[in-house]
Amino acid sequence: MARVFDRALSWDEAALAAAWRAAEPFPHVVIDDFVAGVDLVELLEVEPVEQYQADIYIFDATAPEPASAELRELRAEWAATLSPVLSRVTGVAVTRADMRAFAYRPGHYLLPHADHQDGLARELAFAYYLPTPEPPRGGELELFRVTPDATESARVIAPLPHRLVVFDVSDVSLHQVREVLGGLRLSLAGWFYP
Amino acid sequence: MVLSVIAIGARTAVIVPDAIERVPIAAQFTRYALLDRGSYEHAAAEVPARLVALASEVTGRALAVTEARVLRLVPGDYLLAHHDRVHEDLPIELIADLSPAPVAGAEVHYRRRGQVFFRVPCTPGAVSIVERGPTVTCNHTYVSKLSPPGAEVVRLVVLLR
Repeated sequence: MARVFDRALSWDEAALAAAWRAAEPFPHVVIDDFVAGVDLVELLEVEPVEQYQADIYIFDATAPEPASAELRELRAEWAATLSPVLSRVTGVAVTRADMRAFAYRPGHYLLPHADHQDGLARELAFAYYLPTPEPPRGGELELFRVTPDATESARVIAPLPHRLVVFDVSDVSLHQVREVLGGLRLSLAGWFYP
Repeated sequence: MVLSVIAIGARTAVIVPDAIERVPIAAQFTRYALLDRGSYEHAAAEVPARLVALASEVTGRALAVTEARVLRLVPGDYLLAHHDRVHEDLPIELIADLSPAPVAGAEVHYRRRGQVFFRVPCTPGAVSIVERGPTVTCNHTYVSKLSPPGAEVVRLVVLLR
């Protein structure tokens, strides 16, 4: 099983751990050139995608629980390979993950929010950006610094292909996906759990 | 003329087209900056007496203004549902659309127990009148950055009891 993401097994964990601890406005790491050993876009073509819309977001995505055996297998492999490494890098013990595929098209967005919800035990959030037929304009992941009176933009991370972003989940890990203004933004995203 | 819109979720939920002239707003706006709740500008406002009379006529209630402010949203702005507050009584919320031009997709959504039951599109000159209550909340949808240059949504929001 450890064939798809075994590049993670050769990461410089000490450097990543230092980056995690030093990151502002809250702990996170950005890992580039994290290339999967399978064609994820092709894999996702068999997974049903629907539009999801609320006051805080509009995007196309797969269901929270994958319909296909292929995506369930990918999710299991993702968790099995990355959980031990991320536990050491972040100091947060995680063992399992959920995973959905997201397609943000022009006009799609996810407004500022924190992922923490009581009872859900989300520890680490992740987003892994996939190559797309037309690279997105906009769609950056934006991290905010929270103060009592305001929220200030602190870091903007472009959704580059094969880039993995992992960040801490807490009440203050405020973030958003900026509106996509053109092209197509494809990603796998979800959370790691204890 | 009152354009009555049937809406399950509130006893009164109507849109009155061409109810107010498109007047320029000279208010001193302040930007709201807690982005997990909303992104917009707001200012104090005077409420024309004819709007209070209109709300009274539509609802059949004797009403007086208890709160009023003007909101201005530009591309990238929004007010989320959890920025709204629940009213234990049944006040009337009147929103007069003072926008200079329609902005596609910029709507006010009224929700009952989280489900949208009434949508108010950006239509300059129109007035919406909705009865609030313990189960009714409201959000102002995100204004797309793909909107035409200069797009601006201006709403006079009035609470009456």
